[in-house]
Amino acid sequence: MTERDIKDLLTQGPVSRRGFLAAAGLTGLSATIAACTGTGGAASDAPTAAPTAAPTAVPTAAAASGAVESAAPTVAPAPSYAVEDELIMYNWAEYISDENIKKFKAEYGLKKFQYDVFDNNDVLMAKLQGGASGYDVASPTMNYLPAMIESGFLQKLDMSRIPNMELINPVFRKQWWDPTEEYAVPKDYGTTGILYRSTLLPSVPTSWKEFYDLIKGEASGKTIFVKSRDDVFIFPLKMLGYSLNSVDPNELEQARQILLEVAPHLYGLDSNQYGQTMADGTASMALGWTGELGQSLKDTKDKGYVVPTEGTAFWLDTWVILADAPHPEASYAWLNFIHRPEIQGEETNFNLYATPNDAAKAYVKPAILADPAIFPSEEALKNLEGQEDTSDSTQRNDIWEEFQSKVGG
Amino acid sequence: MAGTATGVEPRAPANRLRNRLLTFGLLLPAGAWYLVMLVLPLVIILIYSFGVRARNGGYEPAFVFDNYARAISKADPFIESLQMSVMGTIGCLLVGLPLAYFLAMRAGRNKSTLLLLLVVPFWTSFLIRTYAWLIILGPNLGLAGQIESIFGVQDVQILGSSFAVLLGLVYGYLPLMVFPLYVTLERMDRTLIEASKDLGAGRWSTFRQVTLPITLPGLVTGSILVFIPMMGEYVIPELLGVGRTYLMGNALVTDFLEARNWPSGAARAVLLIIVMIVTVAGYLWFVNRGRRTRDVSVL
Repeated sequence: MTERDIKDLLTQGPVSRRGFLAAAGLTGLSATIAACTGTGGAASDAPTAAPTAAPTAVPTAAAASGAVESAAPTVAPAPSYAVEDELIMYNWAEYISDENIKKFKAEYGLKKFQYDVFDNNDVLMAKLQGGASGYDVASPTMNYLPAMIESGFLQKLDMSRIPNMELINPVFRKQWWDPTEEYAVPKDYGTTGILYRSTLLPSVPTSWKEFYDLIKGEASGKTIFVKSRDDVFIFPLKMLGYSLNSVDPNELEQARQILLEVAPHLYGLDSNQYGQTMADGTASMALGWTGELGQSLKDTKDKGYVVPTEGTAFWLDTWVILADAPHPEASYAWLNFIHRPEIQGEETNFNLYATPNDAAKAYVKPAILADPAIFPSEEALKNLEGQEDTSDSTQRNDIWEEFQSKVGG
Repeated sequence: MAGTATGVEPRAPANRLRNRLLTFGLLLPAGAWYLVMLVLPLVIILIYSFGVRARNGGYEPAFVFDNYARAISKADPFIESLQMSVMGTIGCLLVGLPLAYFLAMRAGRNKSTLLLLLVVPFWTSFLIRTYAWLIILGPNLGLAGQIESIFGVQDVQILGSSFAVLLGLVYGYLPLMVFPLYVTLERMDRTLIEASKDLGAGRWSTFRQVTLPITLPGLVTGSILVFIPMMGEYVIPELLGVGRTYLMGNALVTDFLEARNWPSGAARAVLLIIVMIVTVAGYLWFVNRGRRTRDVSVL
């Protein structure tokens, strides 16, 4: 059994995201979609059109179609694609709505839509470094993009063929990971924060400092961290008021002290089962991601999630077309298709991750839109910092390894 | 003489050649397999271990010894792996030897059924079997939860402990210990035990002087078969140890995947291979020496 097989299997938690949605019910959503599919112009009927959507696209689109439609602020006419009969995708598990895959296949007459999964960026990176992957599109997290671009793994995109790119919120555009916007289309974003069970704690943490005190106090032996180096570093660095991307030796040394101090108090390091571990009460707090809230913890009444006041990291997964993609036309078609507001809205309803596509918010169920664990508040957004690739910092690696061997005492 | 020699000579080389070709032909698939799948990757690992990390991760050619210096200075996971593997091997031996003895000597006509029961779980995915232990040892319905409810204590945690990891190791690799032991015990001439008893030896002396020396080859094979994979074990500490036990396999994952430092990981792998070869060779030498001295003493 290869490493990847194992990792793939490891990601299969007891409750799948699809299972959760089946339970939550898609009835409200399907009604919305039924009302909004059909012509592109119908999107303008959406009740709450997002204000920041595509300011540049509006005049041209309106002028072009002004005679037919009164206003078409969101959807640009789809360019035509000479789509091949296959699309081979390498993606995170349960990250794309099956309905959307079906619609895409039907619309473009695809014979085969292959969906292979990886469970972390490093596996994707290792695959690409190993040579031809055979995949068309993949969805790496943004901090991996510079390395992938520099290594020539990604195709330069012709953004005129992906007009829906204009619907993406500017916060996520032309940032350090793709300053000229030539390689990636934002997909979903989320935050790293604190998951907790309020009934198992004397007080609910709101900051990294309170989190730190709880780990050494009441939550000693009952706190779990995800096994992800860069996410773990957020906690000490942000608590100390530094950038979470710091590679400053002095700052890292201070972070090291904090990590080694809390290490014996941790229940464990685990990215696969931590939601379950919290659900059964073994752990009362976790440094982790929001995905578990809707999965292993969906039936846990006292669950909570907080973006610590000192700030935290946001991650942004992006769509890329690989340099040696066997089906480039289908890839372009997919990238534009997935950001049609009604399609993208269904994506969020399915995977419960925030969309950077503002026009799509109109199609997201209100309960999801109002959930701070999914869509951070405007204020929380201000304290967010994008993670950079710091894997070449030997000091970080050394601290991470030292920390791992000290966890649990 | 010369006449007979010329009579034979024309046939012999042709025969020898055909035999050689046949041997070569039959060994070719296995040889090619080993060359491509074992020797070549090892050579690549060796070359990589002297390289440096490329700016964005991976490998860049160079000839430095830094990776080895770093690997040696970070021996903790290695030492922990060594401890766990030794304990795991002893555990497998303690559970496996009586089991193999029972299967070979006492199981009677249930033997095949029992052997099958031992083999069947081994055909199931290793990962799924390890996952099962998460439930067996876990809270609520699991062992930890049962202990809590029976003894009225709180916060019993078995998962995450070294004990849980050790249990997983022994469980996971036990068949690899039992089979070689079973094979040697099965072939053992039982009259030797009777002879030993007739000559006045007790149970313990019979075991020590007759059964154990005969079982030794199986014992050695079994120990090596379980020890080597345990040294590289990654899944069991990750799952049953909840990331608290940081073994060599986990360190290699950190190097290769998280730090994307292939040369550093390669150097560690090379050292691991060297140390294992030395350990196994030393073990074999020790065991054989023991046998020789015993043979002498018996004589």
